[in-house]
Amino acid sequence: MSPNKANDDELGAIPKIDKIIHEPARLVIMAHLFVVDSADFLFLQRQTGLTWGNISSHVSKLENAGYIAVEKEFIDKKPHTTLQLTKEGRAAFQEYRTNMKQVFEDLPE
Amino acid sequence: MNQKINMKQIERKAYTSYHEDGILEITVAVVVFTFAIMMMIDMPWLGGIAGALAVSFYAGIKKLVTIPRIGYVRLPVQRAQKITAIALVLGIVAMVAGMFAFVQTTSSGVPDWLLFLIDYYMITIGVAVAVLFLLGAYAFKTTRMYAYALLTATMFVGGYFLTYPLYYYLAALGTIILAAGLFMLARFINKYPKPTQTMDAQ
Repeated sequence: MSPNKANDDELGAIPKIDKIIHEPARLVIMAHLFVVDSADFLFLQRQTGLTWGNISSHVSKLENAGYIAVEKEFIDKKPHTTLQLTKEGRAAFQEYRTNMKQVFEDLPE
Repeated sequence: MNQKINMKQIERKAYTSYHEDGILEITVAVVVFTFAIMMMIDMPWLGGIAGALAVSFYAGIKKLVTIPRIGYVRLPVQRAQKITAIALVLGIVAMVAGMFAFVQTTSSGVPDWLLFLIDYYMITIGVAVAVLFLLGAYAFKTTRMYAYALLTATMFVGGYFLTYPLYYYLAALGTIILAAGLFMLARFINKYPKPTQTMDAQ
């Protein structure tokens, strides 16, 4: 067995944790989008308590990772942006939850 | 950062914040009031029109008051489908019961069970309205609807033993729900002022 393989076994599920989702603000955004079909920036801001600048930068990162779909449209002649978890984003979040549970279960009492 | 994120709590918050504006209460109260007034002037069918217009009224106020303050959210479709299925089953049961009652009445006079429902009409109506509130509580994940269901059942069952006309109880129920709705709306507007800048405008 290689030293790296042995190290991986010791670390359990920790290396599998998705670092993009693990960042607190992004985790909160993902969690809130996970329970709804879609939402806009204002709804996310009200629900998460994050600032708009914060949401904007984290949404960009999640969008680049392919976890969030950002749709821009005009409603009553006003620009409106809707956010939605992509299929990959939903699966990644589900996997993140499973891995995190595993990490905590593996910890000794 | 507390890693233990409670998804159920987040989901509940998404639902409750969307329905903490009291608009649902105001809409229900307007319909109940209209029914009470129309019953008073012996035109209860006009109350039905108010019921039909309630959805547009609700959607219009929601768009005007709630969405600019807390933003737009589309809740998962599975729940909407479940609610539609329940409403459909309830509608079919009511329709079958109605047809059954009609057939029995025309063939062999008014059946006993229908006479029972008519004799105890206060309780029948109370239970029917309470069931609607229970359905609303489930659909909108709002626990206060359980309280309205209990209030309605208590009021109408109690009303059976009193001699006041039905519209008195409807008006009383409407007043209580309207007061709750207006209180919630005032609190909501205070809690969520309209944002001065919008993310979309940036």
